[in-house]
Amino acid sequence: MLQTAFNGVVTGVIMALPALAVTLLFGVLKFPNFAVGAMMTVAAYLAFALNAQLGWPLAAATVAAAVAMGALCIGIDQLTFRPLRERGAITLMVASLGLGFILENVARFAYGNTARSFAIELARPFRFADVRMNHEQMITIAVSSAAMIAMWVLLTRLPMGRAMRAVADNPSLALVRGIESPRVIRWTWFLAGVLLALGGVLIGMDRALEPPMGSNYLISVFGAAILGGLGSPLGAFVGALVIGVVSELSTLVIAPNYRIGIPLLAIAVILVFRPQGLFGQPYIRR
Amino acid sequence: MISFLILIGIVICFSAILALALNFQWGLGGMVNFGLTGFYALGAYSSALLMLKAGANTFVAALGAMAIVAAVCGLVAFVTLRVTEEDYFAIVTLGVGEMLRLVALNEDWLTKGALGLTGVPRPFGAAIPPQYYQYFLLALAMTLLLATLWFLGRLARSPFGRLVRAVREDDVVAATLGKNVLWVRVRIFAIGGAIIGLAGSLHGFYYQYIDPTQFSNIVIAYAFMAVIAGGRGAHRGAILGAAIVMLLLEGSRFLKDVIPALDSDRLAAIRVIMIGAGLILLLIYRPQGFFREYRLRADFK
Repeated sequence: MLQTAFNGVVTGVIMALPALAVTLLFGVLKFPNFAVGAMMTVAAYLAFALNAQLGWPLAAATVAAAVAMGALCIGIDQLTFRPLRERGAITLMVASLGLGFILENVARFAYGNTARSFAIELARPFRFADVRMNHEQMITIAVSSAAMIAMWVLLTRLPMGRAMRAVADNPSLALVRGIESPRVIRWTWFLAGVLLALGGVLIGMDRALEPPMGSNYLISVFGAAILGGLGSPLGAFVGALVIGVVSELSTLVIAPNYRIGIPLLAIAVILVFRPQGLFGQPYIRR
Repeated sequence: MISFLILIGIVICFSAILALALNFQWGLGGMVNFGLTGFYALGAYSSALLMLKAGANTFVAALGAMAIVAAVCGLVAFVTLRVTEEDYFAIVTLGVGEMLRLVALNEDWLTKGALGLTGVPRPFGAAIPPQYYQYFLLALAMTLLLATLWFLGRLARSPFGRLVRAVREDDVVAATLGKNVLWVRVRIFAIGGAIIGLAGSLHGFYYQYIDPTQFSNIVIAYAFMAVIAGGRGAHRGAILGAAIVMLLLEGSRFLKDVIPALDSDRLAAIRVIMIGAGLILLLIYRPQGFFREYRLRADFK
């Protein structure tokens, strides 16, 4: 029970990163991006290429992959989403679906369907009050918490973070106040890319690297973001933890294969009782 | 060769019916369906199970599959759209579709899991000699395709069709005029669902064998590609789009002969990359597709 809960916390902490990326992207661009799963996959394989094939330490490979993914995301946005920006959310969603197919299959083309894993040393797990924690799980919690704190500082304390929140809150008002939205959008994509890359590497460490690794988490990640309130960074973190723990605990009662039903159920419940999410602002249609 | 062409013709027919269903939900009604694969699988499995477990004949089974998929689609639309907007709806359809696929994969007692269902009966399977059966199936599939086309064409021109387009263009205006937007959307989604169920039944009749791997997410990519290429809202366009996509897919089998280094995984990956890239390029450069949606025209004399 305690062990399952702990595993759930780890899963939740991993999902918090992509959930934050989803919520940032939604806040600024106003459409749910279905390519985030595949983006995690691509970033994880980038780190894999540097780590397992070129022999870099995983930490260095992850940092490089994160920066590369951030840059790649800016490029992808310029190529695919910028020309469609004025066409409405549905067109953008469909484009993001197509983009997800492309990215996932680029990874499949390069590395095939076989599951792979990072070159990391196995170590004896710790035991603490009957809970077994392995090194990867400790690293996961540390990395994710650090990233979350960094994001929080950035969003609340730095000018770019304030500009991002301003654009997310009211694009026209932000424009009037002289905030350059193209610059804000580039930064948002960069940060999202970094978060997705970290998430991808952590998933690869927790499970294994395979092409659908990212999209398998897509519904849970959206569930976390919606539960917390789309557009709310704190909500994304809390939502991810709740979804992670409840999903793992649910395996005690229902078949593990149906774990994906939990985020779905969470979306349904939250939409009926509190559509703006736990931490979201009530949605006003403009 | 002839029989290969006939088989492609049948595949094109039921892909086109699926594309028409998506075209009605998304092109005409403005409701994205990212769970298309799951609903398609639901149609195929319902029809097969109605025949194998409940002993229904093929006609009843197809109708039953249509009713089941329509009911599930309507329910999803009703529960989700009662409270929210289209962004959430897309996510929920994705989730429900995935869930339906998982049920097909895991409920061994019902669906035989990964093994799949074998020996799916076909309409008049006993009465028609096997060597002629493919001609009959092609004729049946084409008849059903034309019937679907006729039905949706009538629907698009009817008062309900106008209402559907009005809701797509601006639901607030439609609501202001006293239309029940939620109910319209539930009906759009359910009607589309019925047609998806029909396509799923045909899928079962054609393969006589269904398993979860036939319903990978790629089906969504094909269907969206067909609808965008054909022109959103244009029924004939969706059929042409489906035909082009299927011909490209079947044609790309021969890539393997040209480039021997490609194994089947890579070939599959290339196909999907092509489809994804085509989807985005069409959205950017030719969002109206190659056919136009039906519009009322006034003749001035």
